[in-house]
Formats: sequence, C-alpha cells, structure tokens
Amino acid sequence: MFQKPLIIGLFWTFSLSVYAIDFNSSITVTGQWMASIQTGKSQSLGLRLLPDFDLNFENGWRLKSTVRLQSELINGLQINDLNRSGYSDFSKPAQLTDAVGLELRELYVQGEIGQSFLTLGKQQIVWGTADGLKILDIVNPQSFQQFILADFEQSRIPLWTANIEQSIGDWELQFVWIPDQTYHALPRQNGTFAFTSPELVPIAPSGVSLKVEQPRRPSKILLDSDVGFRAATFWKGWDITLNYLFQYNNLPVLRQQLSTTGGNPVVTIIPEYERTHVLGATFSNAISDWVIRGEIGYFSTHYFIGNNPALNQGVIKSPELQYVLGLDWNAPADIFLSVQLIQSWIINDARKTTRDQLDTTFTGMIRHNFLYDTLTAEILLISNTNNGDGIIRPKISYQWQDNIKTWLGADIFYGDPQGIFGQFDNNDRLIVGVEMFY
Amino acid sequence: MKNHNTYLVGLSFLFSSLLSASELPSGDEVAKMINARDEGVAVSRQVKMIMTDKRGKQRIRDTRGYRKYFGAEKRTIIFYLSPKNIKDTAFLTYDYPQKDRDDDQWLYLPAMRKVRRISASDRGDYFLGTDLTYEDIKLETRVSIDDYQRRVIGESEVDGFHCLLLESIPVDHKTMMELGYSKVEQCVDDTIWMVRLAKMWDPQGLPLKTIHSSDIRQIQGIWTQHQLDVIHHKTGHKTRFIFSNVNYNQGINDRVFTQNAMKHGL
Repeated sequence: MFQKPLIIGLFWTFSLSVYAIDFNSSITVTGQWMASIQTGKSQSLGLRLLPDFDLNFENGWRLKSTVRLQSELINGLQINDLNRSGYSDFSKPAQLTDAVGLELRELYVQGEIGQSFLTLGKQQIVWGTADGLKILDIVNPQSFQQFILADFEQSRIPLWTANIEQSIGDWELQFVWIPDQTYHALPRQNGTFAFTSPELVPIAPSGVSLKVEQPRRPSKILLDSDVGFRAATFWKGWDITLNYLFQYNNLPVLRQQLSTTGGNPVVTIIPEYERTHVLGATFSNAISDWVIRGEIGYFSTHYFIGNNPALNQGVIKSPELQYVLGLDWNAPADIFLSVQLIQSWIINDARKTTRDQLDTTFTGMIRHNFLYDTLTAEILLISNTNNGDGIIRPKISYQWQDNIKTWLGADIFYGDPQGIFGQFDNNDRLIVGVEMFY
Repeated sequence: MKNHNTYLVGLSFLFSSLLSASELPSGDEVAKMINARDEGVAVSRQVKMIMTDKRGKQRIRDTRGYRKYFGAEKRTIIFYLSPKNIKDTAFLTYDYPQKDRDDDQWLYLPAMRKVRRISASDRGDYFLGTDLTYEDIKLETRVSIDDYQRRVIGESEVDGFHCLLLESIPVDHKTMMELGYSKVEQCVDDTIWMVRLAKMWDPQGLPLKTIHSSDIRQIQGIWTQHQLDVIHHKTGHKTRFIFSNVNYNQGINDRVFTQNAMKHGL
C-alpha cells in the first residue's frame, strides 16, 4: 500500500525529458555451507542471488535497485527461523516457499536539487565508527537470524527512507525521515540462534509456562515515523559527527503478566515497541601510525529485563549510555590490528535487572593481507568481561579472480550460557563459502 | 599557474646554460624543477590498472580520479568503477604543504558502507593491490623534497630522450622504513622535467621496483604521462596504469573532495 505511491513518485521524478545515459547491472551469487562443530551436522547450505540495477540519467540522477533471492537447502537455518513480526507490511520479504525468500534490498533515486543531495527510497544508512558491534549504527534494524554473525551489509534491514544531505560551510548535514515501521527481525523460540540469555528474554521459572503474544506495533505512518539528524565536520584533523535519532527502539519491550490458567501459573509476554531519543557523537583521527576512533550514544529510555516478573511488568526503565573507544594500527607488512573497548551503562539502579549496571566488552582483530590483497587471513575476538563469554572468528579468504572469492572460517562461542555470547555455546560452526560476480 | 610557468621557463633557461657548460645541476635543483612543472590546478582522468602476477594472471581495475590544489594543499580522490568486487571503493587524501603535518587519508569500503580513516604513516604500504605505494600515488609525477637527500650522478637516455640521473637516499632510517626504499634512482627528462624511469631499492639494498613512464604528451598545454609500467622485482608482479580522458580544464566542484562524495560515488 505504501510502495505504490512512493514508486510512482520516484518515477515521476524522471518523467520529463530525462533519459538514461548509463545502465549497469550485475548479479552476485553466494553459496555458503555451515556445519556444527559440536555435532558435525550441516547447519545450513544456503544460496543467495543479488541482482542489482543502476540507471544513471543525463540530469545527474540515479535509480538503484537490488533484490535478494535466498534459499536454504538443508535444515538448520531456515527462513522460518525468523519471526517476521518485526517487519512492516511494506518491507516484509516475500516467502516464496518454506526454503526460499525474496526481498527488495534497495530501490531508491538519488540526485541533487539545488545544494541538497537526496536519496529517496529503500536504503541502508550507516552511522558510527564501531566495528563488529553497534551503538549508533541503529538507523536500520537488523536480522538476528544468525545472531550477529552475518555480514552487516546482509543482516541490516533496509528501510523506506527520505535521506537529505547538504553541505553548509565546513559541515555536512544529514536529515533522515523513516516512515517505515520495521524493527529487528528476531529468531523464533525454536530457531537455531533463538535468544535464551536472561539478559535478552524473560525466562519462566520451572513449573511456569510461557506464552508470547503478538507484538504491539506502532501503526501511524506519520506520527510513528523515525527522524534523525547528523552533522559531520572535519576539524583540525578530527572527523567529528553529532547524531540525533528519535526512533522506536528496534527491540520490543518484553512486558510480562502473571496469571493462572486451570490452576497453573502462566507468564504472558507482551512485546511492545517504545520510543527513545538517541543523542550521539563520533570521532576519529590518525595520529602517527595509529587511528583513534570512538562513538558514544545516550538513549533516553531503554527497558531492561527485570529479575522479578511481578515488578513493573518485569521490565526496568532507565536511560542508557553506550560508548566505544577503538584503536587501529596499520603495522608494517600489510598487518592490521584493531582493539575496541565497548561499555554500556544503565544509568538508573540496575540491581533489579538481569544484567550488570556496567557491561564491558573488548574486541580484538588482526588481519594480514598477502599476495597483493588477494589472500586475507584474520581473526576476530569479542569478549564480554561481565559474563566471561565471547566469540572467536578466524577466517581465511582468497580472491581467485576478480569475480570469484572463496573463504573458510569458523565461529566459536565460549563462556557462560547465561551470557549474550555464551548462550550459543552449542552453535559453534565451520563455514565454507564462495561468491561470484557477473 | 602563470607564475609557475614563468618560474619554470626561468629555471629551464638557467639549467640549459649550466648544462651547456657541462656542469650538472644539483639534486635539489632538479627536484625543484620537477616540482615546479605545471600540472594544472585541477585534473580529472580515468585510470585503468592492469595487475599481472608472475604466472600471468591479470586483474583489471577501472577508476576515475580527481586532483585539485587548494592553495598549496593538494586533494586527491579516486573512485573505483569496476570490477564489481571493488566497485564504489573510494580513496581520498589531503596532502598538506606543512612539513610537520601528516596527510589526512580516508578509504570508503562499500561492503561496510563506512568511510574509514587511514593513518598517513602507512605510506609505504601498497595501494589496493597495485605495485605503487600510497606515497607513490600521492606524489604522482612529483618528488618528495623532505624525505630524501639527492644528487645528480650522471646523464642517460630513456626512450630516446636525454635525462639526468637523480639519486635519492632517505634522510634517516625511520623514513627509509616508512617509504620502503633505501635508494631511488630517477631518470629525469631535463627538457620537460618529468621522470621517465625510476628504480627503487628495498631497505636491504636489493632491487625492488622499476617504474617506466611513457606516452608522454601535452594535454591542454601540460605534459602528461599516459602510461606507467611498474615491475616489482621481488615478486614478479607488474602493474600497468593507462591514463585517458585527461582534462585539466574541467571545473571540479570542491565537494568532490569530501567524505560524502566518497559515499555517493560518481
């Protein structure tokens, strides 16, 4: 219902004396096999086709479109694993069969009107400087079908957005309006990467059954839309951005109601999306051999899982501060080292929540390029100090030709099963993939 | 630019007189002549990069690049047009005239949709799979005044053109390690003050690279190389750069040299 007028509007832009002067198209084919390290069984055998079209017009405008056709051939990571209630009606991927899904990933026009640069349509907007984990990269929600393991480019969910950028003096300003009420796509309770950590989902005590209702979603296109603003500048060697987002948090608040049915206690979870103001900033600079970068985000209203389901419907409200400090070193011989400290601080008293007031995560990454950037070996470690859990991700990739790339990697979780990473301790996997471009 | 040209003509006259008297100019004087050569306030061009490994396997990149002087500050941006796996990658550098100020550099990687800051101290690293370093790319046809001590060691000929042999040695060990060269020997055409052939040695003193500039002709009155062949002697890898659609008169908007432009592409 929303797509039609938008698409008509987009094409109207080109209706008068405008001709395409350049047309590019390509298709990316990706095949990936994953096997459980614990059981040796296949976790996934997936095939992904990404055809994209890029039309450039003589007036400088551009029309870009990308579609994703994805199929899963082996039981494990099924399309059905994902709860689709996070998607709005006009962004929901089509499910062609139980194993095949089709999604419009990009459809936008882009060009200049006066001094303003406009990108109108379905798109991804990326904010922030953090790698691997997200603080301000929340303009678009993401799919958690594979937790945070899929490339962000693929797991980020594009939204119908009006994105206007303009330079004023030394500042580059960006205004975004997002009438698309799509939020994180979360795994179902029986999905391979279903959340089980008490920090993310309420856990029913033994003898108490759990019932999850359909989420209560915002429904007014105008009143419930998200808006954001970003101002970026380059000042005395520093890249600085100031960010503001007024959005519905992409994770629903999981309110709980206790009741009895037939004499048996039942906890009913009522997911509901709530708004938050996000104030943020980023910085980066190169100092000698090092690049220092960071970002900070203040969230006016976040809801955390309470440790008593009877208190405040099982949720604790508090502002939250998240920040990351990163250091990159381009060492000699094409070696790249990167470390990050990421902390999240619940500003109000956190004793009634299921997580610590201050949550600390470290990341470390080393990457070495060989053979004129055709062979890359890297290892990424993400470690949470509160729960003593984390993930190790080694990967080797080789670019056989410009249009053929293969990789071999592993995702190895460790630590407390109550932790955000440790909850997937039984999901360690080996990955073999190939990607071709035509 | 007019002042540049006047300066160049004056210096050329001076050096012609010196050479006719069979006296070779000093290395610093030659370096000044190279850097005084008119290369336009701004230029746009397409560059095809053909990379060939020792087994003959080729990778080809098509790029479009822009360079513009903002006073003495030079800004350069390169957009990758093809192939698909590197398309939309962009590299931006601000090169400052102050000796004590590092360049500012950024890389846009479309797979991450982020502009990343790169430290300028990586100038000896190889540029995106080619045989040129970030520093080579930045300097283009110029030479670094501060990184080397230089002298003219003789005369020679390349492609039938007379040239002066300029030997450059890094000023200290740190600079040598940063650049990756222990010695550079350049054959400088003393008519148009362009380097036609350069040889580099690695920090161990072993032959490292040879760079041959050819198809040099005037575009809009400015001497312009149209082909650059780089041979890496240690790896057997080669890179050929073919320059086309060179235009010094195209007005280039200042906004091309921004992070937003890197993201938006061409």
